[in-house]
Amino acid sequence: MSKQNIVYNDISSASEGKVMTYREAIAQTMRQALHDNPKVILIGQGVDDHKGIFGTTTGLINEFGAERVIDTPLAEEGVTGIALGASLNGLYPIMTHIRADFILPAMNQIVNLVAKYKYMFGGLFEVPMLIRVVIGRSWGQGAQHSQSLQSLFAHIPGLVVIMPSSSQSVLEAYPYITGRYRGPVISFEHRLMYDLKFNVGMERVGKQPMTSHRIREGKDITIVATSIMVMEALRAANHLSRVSDIDCEIIDLHCASHPDKALILQSIAKTGRLLVADTSWKAYGVCSEICRLICEHSPSILNAPVTTLGMQPAPCPTAKSLEDMFYPNLRDLTDAIATLVKSKNNHGVPLPDEKSMADVYKKFKGPF
Amino acid sequence: MAPADINILFYNSLRIRMFEERIIELYPSDKIQSPVHLSIGQEAVAVGICRPLKITDWVFCTYRSHAYYLAKGGDMRTMMAELYGKATGCCHGKAGSMHLASPEVGLMGSSAVVASTIPHAVGAALAAKILNKDQIIVAVFGDGAIDEGVYHESLNFASLHSLPVIFVCENNGWASYSHFKTRQSYNICDHALAYRVPATHIAEGYDFNKVCDIFSEIVTQVRQKRSPAFVEITTFRYMEHVGTGNDYANNIRDHAELTKWQSKDPLINDKTRIAACRAKIGREIDEAVAFAEKSPWPGRDQLLSDVI
Repeated sequence: MSKQNIVYNDISSASEGKVMTYREAIAQTMRQALHDNPKVILIGQGVDDHKGIFGTTTGLINEFGAERVIDTPLAEEGVTGIALGASLNGLYPIMTHIRADFILPAMNQIVNLVAKYKYMFGGLFEVPMLIRVVIGRSWGQGAQHSQSLQSLFAHIPGLVVIMPSSSQSVLEAYPYITGRYRGPVISFEHRLMYDLKFNVGMERVGKQPMTSHRIREGKDITIVATSIMVMEALRAANHLSRVSDIDCEIIDLHCASHPDKALILQSIAKTGRLLVADTSWKAYGVCSEICRLICEHSPSILNAPVTTLGMQPAPCPTAKSLEDMFYPNLRDLTDAIATLVKSKNNHGVPLPDEKSMADVYKKFKGPF
Repeated sequence: MAPADINILFYNSLRIRMFEERIIELYPSDKIQSPVHLSIGQEAVAVGICRPLKITDWVFCTYRSHAYYLAKGGDMRTMMAELYGKATGCCHGKAGSMHLASPEVGLMGSSAVVASTIPHAVGAALAAKILNKDQIIVAVFGDGAIDEGVYHESLNFASLHSLPVIFVCENNGWASYSHFKTRQSYNICDHALAYRVPATHIAEGYDFNKVCDIFSEIVTQVRQKRSPAFVEITTFRYMEHVGTGNDYANNIRDHAELTKWQSKDPLINDKTRIAACRAKIGREIDEAVAFAEKSPWPGRDQLLSDVI
């Protein structure tokens, strides 16, 4: 499909050109940031150990020393405040949390201080920093190792929240954030993508990297997706292009706090249909927010009700049988797209025979 | 200590008291629409702490920071304008009383969430160490802040990394209306020592000379050793936690204790010096009020500026 080739080719043809795993992309940007700017520090629990935040910081202590690659006590609030103070005094901190859930003890610092340090003092201060957190999924991550908390932070003025959906997304966003951007950014990485290979090197020009991107052009439906759901949307779109005439347009929301609203509205004005696929719960989150955007600006561009996909409205269960039902899978997503486009449940479009995403991605070598 | 310095300490302390007394006068007019946490009774601590610091040394404060703003050298006119919520305020009207800052003199922020700026001081000290700056960072907080977990996290990190930060606890014994005996199972200085942070207690929080002398020694030590220190200064909050009233009408606190402390307060008892300084300070405050009165309000263009 020629339309797929003109768009952001994160996973569509990984056998050609340069490929890089999500982990390698993050590791490269971490090393580059420390190398390029002596004021960058890496601070977080385990940044210096042999596992190195799933291999994204491994070895950096040997190259840059313990003064700049700082293992911390188990003190999320204190360390976040320390990062703020360090930032005020000239350092650029990159903080890490190996699970997004672990950022919650730091909510006071992030919401009350980091987000407000510029505005509350009338612009006297800037606190540039990058806080990396990892969304967990599969293999019994359970209720407290699996949360996808982007909407909690995107809700707060003063914070920028991004959700890199590929290696290329990391390679574009992180150097920009650590090298040029002067405010606090929280990045939600996804654990399941760490081992996946993506095509890299096709840089998107003309846009700063903290916004949304259209990654597939189509005419029948707009899918706004976040993080790993972008890949799922691509897989669903590719399947549908093989087995049906359904032509999907996909927007990688990427910046949950500051999406490209015009891009989303233009796309829906063209397709008339919207499906939002988020990694988190639907209520009061990305799904709700995109719906607000449409409702406030131009609800008449919709030809059908919106469909949203996200986690079930419960804490994440540990048992695999339940976990597989807790997250929407490729079959659910494909079915939802076909139902929306065909305006009926018995749409007759063949659905992919889907195991859980975790099973697929563990074995995934790409290309799709 | 040179006599000239003693006069400056007295003058600066009285200046803070008179400034806050003017706030009390103005408050019923609603011209200052911001919760004020007055330092009356605690001025000598702020003055004694800030006097030995260089302008490049940083102080992080709390919502009770009028005294530190002035003691560190912040501009009185832009402070009054900030209390009025005017565009000419030190933070353009977005801060009010509880979030004063003046980076040009090293007052790097004040927070209304108890203990929340303590780790900022530690982080700034970490940067001072890594970037090789000849700089001392001071975290100012009350005894209530010591109840918070982040205080402990901060003390530990500062000690672990040997950072040039001084923790200053203004112990007035009260967290709002909760007495420290209902809150703390330990002695504050002993507790700091448990983190291997040298701790000093100053009982005479009304005595700006003593506070300044002892704190000067500590500053010299920290500047040389590049490692943290802790100071607890017993002081007395004359007013209620927030607002311009007091805690005695409702018998929340014992009035006899106030009288006892006030009998030692030079800002009440040194009538000769007070008389010598009052007129000049009064004129400065008049000018600050006039500046605030005539300054414009921030407009719509300011509402969404400096968010990210």
